[in-house]
Amino acid sequence: MEPDHDHRAGAFCRRTRREFFWEAGASFTGLALSGLLEQGFFARQTRAADGLAAYVNPLAAKPPHFAPKAKSVIFLFMYGGPSHVDTFDYKPALYPLDGKTIEVKTKGRGGEKSQGRVVGPKWKFKQYGQCGKWVSDLFPNIATHVDDIAFLHSMTADSPIHGSAMLQMNSGKIQSGAPCLGSWVNYGLGSVNENLPGFVVMLDPTGGPISGAKNWASGYMPATYQGTLLRSKGPPILDLAPPDDMPLEAQRAMLDALRESNTAHLLPRGDNSELAARIASYELAWKMQEHAPEAVDLARETEETQKLYGLDNPRTADFGRRCLLARRLVERGVRFIQLYSGGAHNDDNWDAHGDLEKNHTFHAGNTDQPVAALLTDLKRSGLLESTLVIWGGEFGRQPTAEYDEGTGRDHNSFGFTMWMAGGGIKGGVSVGETDELGAAAISPVHDGKTGFHVRSLHATVLNQLGLDPNRLSYFFGGLDQKLVGVEHVEPIREIIA
Amino acid sequence: MGRGEPVDYSRQIQPLLAKRCYSCHGPDTQEGGLRLDDAAAATRELDSGTRAIVPGDDAVSEILARITSDDPDVRMPPEGPRLTAIQIDALRHWITEGAEFREHWAFRPVVRPEPPASTATNPIDAFVRDTLARRGLPAPSQADRRTLLRRATYGVTGLPPTEQEIRDFLADDSPQAWERVVDRLLASPHYGEKWARHWLDLVRYADTNSFERDGDKPHAWRYRDYVIRSLNDDKPYDRFVIEQLAGDELPSPSPDDLIATGYYRLGLWDDEPADRVQARYDWLDDLVSTTGQTFLGLTINCARCHDHKIDPIPQQDYYSLLAFFHNVTPMGERQMNSAFIERPLPTVTESPAELEHRLEQLTRLRTEAHEEIKAIEKRIKDHGDQALDELTRKDLAAWKKRRKELDAEHGRIDKALVVSEYGPQAPDTFVFARGNPRAGAAADRRVEPVFPAVFKTAAPEIVPTADGRSSGRRTALARWIVSPTNPLTARVMANRIWQHHFGRGIVKSASNFGLMGDPPTHPELLDWLASELVAGGWRLKPLHKTILMSEAYRASSAGTATALAKDPLNDALWRFDMRRLSAEELRDSIHVASGGFNPKMYGPGIYPEIPKAVMAGQSRPGSGWGSSSPEEQARRSIYIHVKRSLITPILADFDMADTDTSCPVRFTTTQPTQALGMMNGDFVQRQARLFAERVRREVGGPDGADTAAEVRRALEIALTRTVSDEEIAHGVSLVEKLEGQDGVGPSRALDLYCVMVLNLNEFAYLD
Repeated sequence: MEPDHDHRAGAFCRRTRREFFWEAGASFTGLALSGLLEQGFFARQTRAADGLAAYVNPLAAKPPHFAPKAKSVIFLFMYGGPSHVDTFDYKPALYPLDGKTIEVKTKGRGGEKSQGRVVGPKWKFKQYGQCGKWVSDLFPNIATHVDDIAFLHSMTADSPIHGSAMLQMNSGKIQSGAPCLGSWVNYGLGSVNENLPGFVVMLDPTGGPISGAKNWASGYMPATYQGTLLRSKGPPILDLAPPDDMPLEAQRAMLDALRESNTAHLLPRGDNSELAARIASYELAWKMQEHAPEAVDLARETEETQKLYGLDNPRTADFGRRCLLARRLVERGVRFIQLYSGGAHNDDNWDAHGDLEKNHTFHAGNTDQPVAALLTDLKRSGLLESTLVIWGGEFGRQPTAEYDEGTGRDHNSFGFTMWMAGGGIKGGVSVGETDELGAAAISPVHDGKTGFHVRSLHATVLNQLGLDPNRLSYFFGGLDQKLVGVEHVEPIREIIA
Repeated sequence: MGRGEPVDYSRQIQPLLAKRCYSCHGPDTQEGGLRLDDAAAATRELDSGTRAIVPGDDAVSEILARITSDDPDVRMPPEGPRLTAIQIDALRHWITEGAEFREHWAFRPVVRPEPPASTATNPIDAFVRDTLARRGLPAPSQADRRTLLRRATYGVTGLPPTEQEIRDFLADDSPQAWERVVDRLLASPHYGEKWARHWLDLVRYADTNSFERDGDKPHAWRYRDYVIRSLNDDKPYDRFVIEQLAGDELPSPSPDDLIATGYYRLGLWDDEPADRVQARYDWLDDLVSTTGQTFLGLTINCARCHDHKIDPIPQQDYYSLLAFFHNVTPMGERQMNSAFIERPLPTVTESPAELEHRLEQLTRLRTEAHEEIKAIEKRIKDHGDQALDELTRKDLAAWKKRRKELDAEHGRIDKALVVSEYGPQAPDTFVFARGNPRAGAAADRRVEPVFPAVFKTAAPEIVPTADGRSSGRRTALARWIVSPTNPLTARVMANRIWQHHFGRGIVKSASNFGLMGDPPTHPELLDWLASELVAGGWRLKPLHKTILMSEAYRASSAGTATALAKDPLNDALWRFDMRRLSAEELRDSIHVASGGFNPKMYGPGIYPEIPKAVMAGQSRPGSGWGSSSPEEQARRSIYIHVKRSLITPILADFDMADTDTSCPVRFTTTQPTQALGMMNGDFVQRQARLFAERVRREVGGPDGADTAAEVRRALEIALTRTVSDEEIAHGVSLVEKLEGQDGVGPSRALDLYCVMVLNLNEFAYLD
């Protein structure tokens, strides 16, 4: 199938190879079309925002600022906001207060309040691992991995509203228009696999998150860096599969003819590297078509592995499939993979405003085994060392009830829990605290503020990938823009091995 | 640095001082009494008895001694790397040459330059030839007529030329043939559709608000139509600016004056912000930022939290500009507030006063109906089913009918999305330390609505509008922006016109004319164009025509080895740069090729079919997206409803401007996902089928078996040129190969051939 470019170009144009390159112009001399594909030449062909200057290397691999601990990131996004006091942030003082109305400052969807009725944690906590970490009964499987996990118990965000909080967790800003974490990572490091996108997003079957594509947009950066939706069933990427009435042989014949015509068109315009890049892009697309389905073909996994991820159980099969896909993508060099647990609105995700027990039992039950399996699988294959796994939502939930009746909790961006594992992160540690109710972060002081702001998390992610968060910048709108903003942000050193 | 050229303070010296010295010797801090951003302060005697800069004398200028010293107690800067030999050399020469603190070129007044003496008849060419000659480059060779017509037709209208237009031009051997083409193109209504899109990129046009709900902005499309109409009418640019910034403050504003102010309503809006105060100032910042970049080519937004690091814009200037917008109402709170953002449009038959009266009445009646219905419904709820006697039931039905009628009448009144203010009195504006709106209002940090100090313009006289609706501040701002003494407005706009003909501006950073921006490749030409624009009453079409008539525009895109070696980026304009079609041009051209193109203009947005897989990314798949008939979908891309969180895939793939911030120059990316969409995607597959049907229809023949004729026709349509026998043979061999394949067959083979044709580089790129 590998086309013989030089032969075809020569045959069609009735010129020898040497004549071809002579005519094709000075700057093109010596670069064979087949070479274009192999040397990553294609990846450099993007114009900068000044409209002309060669914009160097948007997706070809780039050296990091310093030796990285992690090569890839898997962000397990618990959309809707899981309750920290019911999962990983053990608050014994909260149980006896159940049903009592107490003074506590909260701010959520329902606005600011200064008192509320406590909803005691609905699950028991047990200690696990060497470190003796308390984990609730919602996550019996993840709990067995606590010695590989660093818990961040005093996360803070600027907004307790889904839309803006989602944007902040994904892009650092509460407004749309800024590139997402995955875009920054690909901008900073490039991609090592040309057959797969470098920033992949897998959604929950119930739908996308609020604000949809804004959560994987590249904002003011070129579209090269935007996230690509990957489906775990059917054709994995939009337009990857040719329609049924365009068989592969037909498509190959079309591509050959296209390349021949485009090569003839290139002859008198040989100094225009965009034209050559576009020719190369069709061959790359063909290669993606061939290789991407293989990357997502879970039938190639052993039965043992499939069972490990819970593919045999209807409750866990869906998230398990996405976790297993994530591992396969990491193996193939994809930089940034984001998986959503939960989609759409209300109880389709972790947004437990009504019946907390029902909501969290459902979502934890769907994800506990697959997440644990992912950690197990990455660890046994040695990939965990170079893969940073992040777990968490856009915020946590309040210790008090949202309504007069029921167990539902409102949003809480004053303090919540996220965790990280692998990629040079210490295991068996817990840093940061919320108050005894879990209402707000109380320690440590980081970058002059109480708790770990979302931007500290972002700084840590970049740092583990070998990127200096205070140096990785992109010039736009007259400013050197950074993911972490203008002020210096320190990674969370306490959890870095 | 060539010693022949004097040192340029604004380019070589000021950025260096700003970066390495200002933090201790600048506007904020003056250690040792030294301040280096101001001529008088930098040259006066210091506490130490020395003078940092002595113009003309490098031997006694202390700054040179300090930056070259090896003594760690003496040397400057005390931290970071030493200045390089080149930097030191530049400083030394600048001092020797008299240490003139000469202003950045863009802030100096525009003085109309005389074109260099030349045999060229078009002044543009006199300037361009002069630059070419100085760089030892030959005058460009001219493109052939077909190439030129394709280039200009796309360049002016965003569409390919028709076959008739090509025949006419090729047959016209009069000396006026080209001028006739230019006049025809500029008179085409498609001109407005093409050039409006450039403007919409700048004002980050969208029909929705982004954020959680990404709800529709009412009547935003009228603003889009207004831009198209204004361009087609060749409305003077100064008027165009005033209408958008302050059309509502004009005496008895016309419908267009009101619609134009939709400008203020196009950006992002968070209906549920976590911090209302912060959100309010973020929203105002978006206005300062967009207005500064769009109309003035200045990134004033950089001075929100601190003085601009590079440009001479202190933080105070940012807030002084913000003051012009401070009285503007928000979109609403939680809900969009129609009292703030909607106004009825007066018509020929109904005066503004009559209309207002009718609307007030309607609103009253609607409220009444609404409350009645609520009351009855409450009665029913409170008393259970017993209350639902025949009479109540009839009553409720009658009121509901009434409300429906009133709603319908209200809906029939045309309204516009507009700006409004709280009244004649604007609130006080304060400089916020570090840009933090919670920093508090300190009396000594209060600012007035005045223009950035660098422009040395007197404070404006501000008169509230006679109707008491508005402070009049925006009128003052608009009048200053378009005043003939403003050094930026005409330069920035002339540069944009040039940019969209030549693919890049004379100043490449088209919205940043500050020190961080690119220097002009042809500074005098830019000033000449700016002068022409103003002298021609700010009309754009004459400027377009001058450009289109130039030999620079008509140049061939072919490269030559010597010119490529001397000027690989073509900064001197020795040729015309090739360009890819924009996302909209590509989509529109596919519709033209398939024969389905619908030239219908104006009106509410259309909804192209979006694949389910893309819709799946929404939290409510399909929400906020309507459906349009295939005929409606085949209209130009500018009429597509712009939903911020759901961009039509082919437009997103081919680098449509990001909708959230002002975009002066689009990217041109080349990616395999574009190829996947163009080969496998539903849109291209569907259009290719229509294209093939058209080819069969036009070639005719009872059984349509003449493959050679079909291939010829397909290429002629797509490429608007004659087709060689070799190309036909190449195409026929592909069609025959496809026909022979399992699952394809003769009819499908031509479809697939048409898919291939739509993917040709020649289809997507212009010479």
